[in-house]
Amino acid sequence: MTNSATALREPATGSAGRRTGLLGRLRQVEPVALVWLVLVLLLLFLVVAPLAKLFMVSFETQDTGAFTLSNYLTAYGRARYLDALVNSLILGLTSATISVVLAVPMAWAVSRTDMPGKGITWAVVLGAFVMPPYLGAIGWILLAGPNSGVVNQLWRAITGAEGAFFNVYSFEGLSLVIALHSFPLVFIFVKAALDLVSSEMEDAANILGAGTWTAMRKVSLPLVWPSILGAFIIVFLETIALFGTPAIIGIPARINVVTTQLWQFFEYPVRVEVAAAYAMPLLLITIGMIVVQKLMLARKGFVSQTGKGGERRVIKLGPWRWALFGWCACVGALSVAMPLLILVQASFAKAWGRGVSLDNFTLRNYQLLLFEHEMAMTSIWNTIWFSAAAATLAVLIALLVAYIVNRRLVPFGEALGFLAMAPFVIPGIVMAIGFYAAYASPPLALYGTAAIIIFAFTARFLPIAYANSSAAIRAVHPEMEEAARILGSGRLHAISRVTAPLIKKALLGGWLIVFIVASRELSAAIFLVGPRTRTMSVLLYDLSEAGNFEVLAAFGGLLLLITLVFVAIGMKLVGRDFMLRRS
Amino acid sequence: MQNATRRHVLKAAAGAAVYGLAAPALATAQTLPPHERELYEAAKREGEITWYSGQYSAEGSEAVGRAFTERYPGVRCNVVRSTSQVAFQRLSQDARARVAQCDVFSSTNSGHFTLLKRENRLTQFRPRNADGMLESIRVADPDNFYQTTFLGLFQLGHNTQKVSEAEAPKSWTDLLEPKWRDQLAVGHPGFSGAIGVWAVQMRKMYGWDYFKRLEQNRPQIGRSSQDPVTLLNAGERTVGVCVPAGTTLLSISRGNPLRLIYPTEGVLATIAPSAIPRNAPHPNAAKLFMEYQASKEMSQVIRGLFAEPLRPDVPGPEGSLPLDQIKLLTPTLEEQEKGVPEVRELWRDTFGV
Repeated sequence: MTNSATALREPATGSAGRRTGLLGRLRQVEPVALVWLVLVLLLLFLVVAPLAKLFMVSFETQDTGAFTLSNYLTAYGRARYLDALVNSLILGLTSATISVVLAVPMAWAVSRTDMPGKGITWAVVLGAFVMPPYLGAIGWILLAGPNSGVVNQLWRAITGAEGAFFNVYSFEGLSLVIALHSFPLVFIFVKAALDLVSSEMEDAANILGAGTWTAMRKVSLPLVWPSILGAFIIVFLETIALFGTPAIIGIPARINVVTTQLWQFFEYPVRVEVAAAYAMPLLLITIGMIVVQKLMLARKGFVSQTGKGGERRVIKLGPWRWALFGWCACVGALSVAMPLLILVQASFAKAWGRGVSLDNFTLRNYQLLLFEHEMAMTSIWNTIWFSAAAATLAVLIALLVAYIVNRRLVPFGEALGFLAMAPFVIPGIVMAIGFYAAYASPPLALYGTAAIIIFAFTARFLPIAYANSSAAIRAVHPEMEEAARILGSGRLHAISRVTAPLIKKALLGGWLIVFIVASRELSAAIFLVGPRTRTMSVLLYDLSEAGNFEVLAAFGGLLLLITLVFVAIGMKLVGRDFMLRRS
Repeated sequence: MQNATRRHVLKAAAGAAVYGLAAPALATAQTLPPHERELYEAAKREGEITWYSGQYSAEGSEAVGRAFTERYPGVRCNVVRSTSQVAFQRLSQDARARVAQCDVFSSTNSGHFTLLKRENRLTQFRPRNADGMLESIRVADPDNFYQTTFLGLFQLGHNTQKVSEAEAPKSWTDLLEPKWRDQLAVGHPGFSGAIGVWAVQMRKMYGWDYFKRLEQNRPQIGRSSQDPVTLLNAGERTVGVCVPAGTTLLSISRGNPLRLIYPTEGVLATIAPSAIPRNAPHPNAAKLFMEYQASKEMSQVIRGLFAEPLRPDVPGPEGSLPLDQIKLLTPTLEEQEKGVPEVRELWRDTFGV
């Protein structure tokens, strides 16, 4: 108050006096406060405004903007639209369940037992995580198309049966294909939790007469129950927000889901209002799930880490270790090896159904993409630089927020952290529609620009960057910074010279993860791209319309190649498990 | 003035030839007819054109875009190829966001154009090259808001290894026979413009009941009308419904075991236009592109990909019957504009997607 009063009186005292006054005032303002303000504005722009706009638009009449409830009536007025919602819910639950079934034994085996081939298991999880889900879907169409799919052809050849062994164009097919690319999330969560459970808990059970199986079932798994539940919810949310796989498999399988229905509301005339109204329950479901999670975990203790450093021994499984390894190998074959092999074969084929033979071999698909398709190369470049920009922005924002929150530099810092984490529970496609509603039109007129896609990616993956940065910051005790500050260093100087170098690796890991998931993102991009800003995933989707799987496979191959280059860089610089470390 | 320009160009060309530079570009500029040269000069200043198209296949559209840029160096063609309904959806999204991105819009559903014209969203322009087009398709719109640029024939096709010629269906109604259960493949009117037009035509001839009976045979539904061609190649399905002749013939030429069928009732013809939106960001380049689409050069390019040329001075693609020997089925523009949204809804109710 005194300060501002001085500042107000300042002009009368001449320029020299003013300078000291202003400087004096600025010196009072910690730079942190300015950073905080900028962060608040950024988070409002990236997270709050699009969602608020979406909420408002859902009550608006098109053109006039008058208040109405009719959008909700239109959105829920038809049985078909409701069916899509129900389909999405069942699909989400099914895929999440399959993911848990696939991943929990793997996580337990890798974390607690003497199972052989842990390195391969890691590679499987990483491979399934890196492969874009729609690419896996295409691989599975080639594998399990009811008539021409390799698996079904083999089945018929061996058994002489008429029918198909597994039809990918079905609800089971759709949920399995989705689960095969979501289970790594469960693995990462559950393994991280199991790593903390010390053997003494299991020992106690053993002493009381429980065998390995009972101890695992009654002690180890219940202890990591929160992480299983958390991972289940995340897979559920990822599934209901997925657009590519349901469009590619769901249409032939006659399964309409929320995302494909949202897409229909964007048909002429574009009904953003109805789409917004239709998206609202997704947010409610999300909130509902989190409440359920809280209730299920309430009033139970899951403490597995204590002050006494518990010993952790591997459990000897005897012959059972091969059974577990078989399970991991099986998941690996289904999720990575088989789709990848068939995609590579198709990408060099004239017609994928004709199998491997010299007269079916061609380089045409690659030639078309690399030399004749003007947009293919542009989209590769777009993908790389949009993802890099989004990753940089996300890590930067996340780092600053994490620092402010963890060092308690401002009051209500937790609110910032909450905003940074919020997109985690917002389906990507809802986020994209929010961005379209809020920023596509003038005054900002960002539609079709690189900026809108970069911002959408930043917002969508901010939580990953935040979780990463927050863990990194927490790992650095403030005393090191304090030492620097005692020696006369300013806060920003201390951060840049002491803290930043200490967490450099972790940040790089976070950057790469955001880069990789952004480079394959489809549902957040599909409503925002313009003619020159299409990404590889969107171009892949455009190409998939005509069902030309050979070219698609070749393009998918290029996308994977680029991703692998970045994964390799990450492993080299950050460590082998950088993608899967849950910190 | 023109002489001076020509002399200047010749001199420059000679100079370029000496140094071995840019000779083809100058040669093209030299051979352009005056009305194109004038547009070309203006288009060069705009530098690019964005083409939303659902007409030719992805491969064909890229070839057209590339050939255009080769003919008019310095004017890049951004090809945004998708199914026609998705192209129209993109255009509508642009309009809703009040952002102008599209210079030329091409769709297999002519109803899009009557709608856009009525909403006063198109530029009036008649390409001079249209004078050389087939007489029957020379005038798409008497007011010249849109111009025919695609003559698509949609037929039946079958995999010859799985279904013999004798067994194959002969007509659109043959598809309803129970023996085709789990054998058929077709696109989707919510994506493909041609499938929408076809559904309007079938409904006109046989009523919606046709599709309810078709559903009893559980056709595999994709998105684009070209989708079935890949499924037939792979042997996933054996009979393709309403497949584009061009894509099928191209696939046959690459050694796939396919055959085109001319249904006895007639072949679905989508005589589909392109138009320049009123807010096109590159209006001159757009006009040049419309001229190009009406030119002999483009007809030659698409003929190479087995699509139907638009001009009498380019022969039809190899392996196809001449147009005058085929019975063509085409709903009117009004039927298309009104009918496609209706059949799209009916389709979703009948087929579930």
